[in-house]
Amino acid sequence: MEERTSGCAGKGVFEAVVVSNRQIGDTFWKVVLEFSGEGAEAFGGFQPGQFVQLDASEAQLPPADKIPEELADAAQRDILLRRPFSFTDVTRHGNKVAAELLYCVVGPATLRMTTLKTRSKVSIVGPLGNGFSPPEGKKLVLLVFGGMGTAPIQHVGKALMTGEKKNDIQIVAFAGAKTRRGLPFEKLTDEISEQLGFSIREFARFGMESMIATDDGSAGYHGLVTDCFTEWLKDNKIDASSTIIYSCGPEPMLSAVAKIAKERGIACEVSMERRMACGMGLCQSCAIECRVEGSDETVYKMCCEDGPIFDAQEVVFGH
Amino acid sequence: MENSVDISVEFAGLRLSNPVFTASGTCGYAKELGVFIDMNRLGGFITKSITAEPRMGNATPRIVETDSGMLNAIGLANIGVERFVLERLGELAEMKAAVFVNIAGQTVEEYVKLAERLAGEGAIAGFELNISCPNVKQGGITFGTDPGQVREITSAVKAASGDKALMVKLTPSVTDISAIARAAVDGGADALSLVNTFTAMVIDIKTRRPILANRTGGLSGPAIKPIAVYMVNKVYSEVAKERKIPILGMGGIRNASDAIEFIIAGASAVAVGTGSFVQPGCTERIVDGIGRYCSENGIAHVGELVGSLAV
Ligand SMILES: Cc1cc2nc3c(=O)[nH]c(=O)nc-3n(C[C@H](O)[C@H](O)[C@H](O)COP(=O)(O)OP(=O)(O)OC[C@H]3O[C@@H](n4cnc5c(N)ncnc54)[C@H](O)[C@@H]3O)c2cc1C
Ligand SMILES: Cc1cc2nc3c(=O)[nH]c(=O)nc-3n(C[C@H](O)[C@H](O)[C@H](O)COP(=O)(O)O)c2cc1C
Ligand code: FES
Repeated sequence: MEERTSGCAGKGVFEAVVVSNRQIGDTFWKVVLEFSGEGAEAFGGFQPGQFVQLDASEAQLPPADKIPEELADAAQRDILLRRPFSFTDVTRHGNKVAAELLYCVVGPATLRMTTLKTRSKVSIVGPLGNGFSPPEGKKLVLLVFGGMGTAPIQHVGKALMTGEKKNDIQIVAFAGAKTRRGLPFEKLTDEISEQLGFSIREFARFGMESMIATDDGSAGYHGLVTDCFTEWLKDNKIDASSTIIYSCGPEPMLSAVAKIAKERGIACEVSMERRMACGMGLCQSCAIECRVEGSDETVYKMCCEDGPIFDAQEVVFGH
Repeated sequence: MENSVDISVEFAGLRLSNPVFTASGTCGYAKELGVFIDMNRLGGFITKSITAEPRMGNATPRIVETDSGMLNAIGLANIGVERFVLERLGELAEMKAAVFVNIAGQTVEEYVKLAERLAGEGAIAGFELNISCPNVKQGGITFGTDPGQVREITSAVKAASGDKALMVKLTPSVTDISAIARAAVDGGADALSLVNTFTAMVIDIKTRRPILANRTGGLSGPAIKPIAVYMVNKVYSEVAKERKIPILGMGGIRNASDAIEFIIAGASAVAVGTGSFVQPGCTERIVDGIGRYCSENGIAHVGELVGSLAV
């Protein structure tokens, strides 16, 4: 994992302009942000897996009748700190850079983000942390993700399938959600993955095979995405040494994926999350317990600076 | 415009280019914040708490946000004094800002050992004594809540500090902060810094458990500012003014107006902690804003503002 790219060269505080902001499915929204000038320079080098800290404190709350009942109390909380988010896509348009941020509405900051209007400005700190390492020498890339974990995974998939090595690799993606409406995708198609009934257009467009698992069976595989993934591994002969898994989602899912990877000797990187006060290495709030190679000891690494991408076998899961 | 205004300050025997510090534990070891600001524009820099041995710190969650504030329970995670000297002191030596090393321990001996180890290091201007730690030899009572212990630890560290300035950082979780301040000054403190965080708790009502793994944490940020301003003014008028001991005021500072409030209350200098997490460039803007305020208000030297509260 020596190859990880760091974005610290141009990291800073930048103003982004909102291009669009709309709802996708039941709980997800997608906001497109545009950077120009120094921001465009910094974010032109944004690597899949890196993240940003967004200040939502100046955005308005939605009107009371638009606030889901379960968030009504949380909506009253003032927000002080920035919030960490990944990007699902970063593209250059002339001297500007557009970044797509896919977010799940779970609390006061993400609730406020839903009211961000086209042409309004948002303060963004980034690019932060390290991206996924490039799949050197790998022929098969397996993407396993759930819920909010979609963003960096969608980004790394697209970046690989539009990059220099696109003809050398094959990608299969496994997306998990509670229900079909909880999936952060606009359209599902059934063109590619007939076997499981649905695939994801955002992945199919770039030539990636994809499958869906929902807890209630409302789309694709009925059950956990990790079970869907295990079954696929049983049915498909793969060469472990030329395969890599990238995974992002709830920690129990990552822990299960790490175990599957270990049992089969497949390289695996996970994108971790922690509550972050700063996101830039100032506060040490985002500790991740990591194994030290060749010893029983563990150390704390910082999710924001040393991660958020970690080698799956290095992390001591349990949160 | 600001050229006519002098915002340099005399602080604990040191000449600082301006009265703005970064607060302990909120700016890494310096290089982390240096990505965002010109560290040479700071008046002072305070390291995170350094202990004799490395400390991993607490399990996560280590922070939780509250209304206009946040709780932290980092657990004094740090690389220990030896690695600090070896790996981090070099970059601090190059900084124009006065470098204070915040030291913490569990026994008086540990504090003394730290001061002795660091007293000969030229990169260091002074120590900030974090006395918001439990004294394991005194049944875990926080050093900083007992005037007798504060006096003892201050004089012991002072004796071990050589020519370094000694600043004692007061915890606000006490009944009478002036009594503690007096004890520190009696023990030989060259400066006082206040406030450290307020012990606090947030409960997850779904699980009925505290959110922080450590159960409690320290409240910082704008939520504590009015209490911190009050405490600075109390310590200034009851102790520091008469004893001619400068105060480093902190607690919730985000902008120049906040900083000036502290200075009017009696602080000779100010420190910014949580504010840098949200706006990493805020310290530089505060330096500029203090200069602007002085020039707009016909104040030739920022020292004139210190303790200028109209009563
Ligand atoms: C590196 C990183 C990348 C992320 N990328 C995305 C993304 O692309 N899209 C997206 O929707 N979300 C992402 N998140 C999560 C996102 O930061 C939180 O959902 C957001 O901060 C919630 O803010 P809020 O004020 O709306 O809700 P809050 O009230 O702050 O949080 C709602 C609930 O979520 C939990 N929570 C909040 N933050 C965290 C955290 N950091 N770790 C664990 N639990 C937490 C808490 O239990 C809380 O009760 C990412 C987080 C990290 C650390
Ligand atoms: C994440 C975090 C870590 C801190 N670590 C330390 C520390 O190691 N030693 C110390 O004396 N104070 C520590 N503090 C306290 C700050 O230095 C400061 O006294 C307090 O946060 C109030 O200022 P603020 O509201 O500007 O943050 C820490 C505060 C925060 C938020
Ligand atoms: S969030 Fe502050 S160090 Fe990682």
